[in-house]
Amino acid sequence: MAQSEYLYTAIILLALCTAICRAGYFLFGHHIPLPEGLRSALRYAPLAALTGIVIPELLPWHPVDGPQVDLRLLAAAIAIGVFLWTRNGFLLIVSGMGALWFSRWVFGL
Amino acid sequence: MREGLTAVSPGLIALGIWGVVTGVAMVKAGLTETQAIAMSLLVYAGSAQLTSLPLMAADAPIWLIFAAGIIVNLRFLIFGAALHPFFRDLSWRKRLFLGYLSVDVSFIVFMPRFADAPKKGTLEQHWFFIGTILPAWLVWQAASMLGIALGAIVPVSWSLEFGAVLALMAMMLPHITSRAVFVSVVASGLTAWLTQLWPLRLGLLAAVVVGIVAGMWTEKLSKPKVKR
Repeated sequence: MAQSEYLYTAIILLALCTAICRAGYFLFGHHIPLPEGLRSALRYAPLAALTGIVIPELLPWHPVDGPQVDLRLLAAAIAIGVFLWTRNGFLLIVSGMGALWFSRWVFGL
Repeated sequence: MREGLTAVSPGLIALGIWGVVTGVAMVKAGLTETQAIAMSLLVYAGSAQLTSLPLMAADAPIWLIFAAGIIVNLRFLIFGAALHPFFRDLSWRKRLFLGYLSVDVSFIVFMPRFADAPKKGTLEQHWFFIGTILPAWLVWQAASMLGIALGAIVPVSWSLEFGAVLALMAMMLPHITSRAVFVSVVASGLTAWLTQLWPLRLGLLAAVVVGIVAGMWTEKLSKPKVKR
């Protein structure tokens, strides 16, 4: 992790992101129309960004050894299954963590 | 105000869980406790916080962290556009304050109740909204602080940072409700997998662009049918 100057700059800019996105329309709503085409494009952006963060965490790619698969992928698959079955986000987190710990214990990792 | 609190209370439980997970994740990503507390108080946006942590850990450029923060917060722009008519007559300070503190749960309970209200911007509506955002803020901050404290105690070998990945997944899955969104997620996932060795984690931007294009393209192809 980098030095604190970098981190505080990032934190302040992220606070700005919050302000722009949440309060932008509240403040300047009279002046900014949101065309339908743009609106429908924006619908896909947040999920795509979250996917772009999650996938490299689950399926890392080593610079030399290539794609990696470990027990986190198995745990994530179980967690997704539990969510599809129960529709409960809390159980997704609990089952995913539980599956990771249990499978590590089973495989002695 | 009390009605707002009643309506929002089930959502507060979920918010509390995100808060704890986010608090733990910030510490486990390498932030000091002071930095984590500052982030929780200033940024106050779980998905943006969880998204930025792997980027910070990889020393990604500041502008990419900012761009990612904007992208995952875009939904609030859409919420804001819908909420704006209810608050347009307030002073700019109040609009800034209410906007900055508005969260998903407040929008989710506010809109079904007042979307068809004949008069927009009544005192009742304002107090209902405040009744949702203030408890949400309190619960989130308390839960984050708890998570920050836990994060400092729990050993690394427990891999609690994996909880952050799971929390992001729990945030995503309920929104995959149509074929177009599903295709968009698969396409951006594939892109993110293939591009993760790109410098500066620029693969994230590629994943977003491919995801948007794939989603809109699927939507266009399946236009006549209305999918669930």
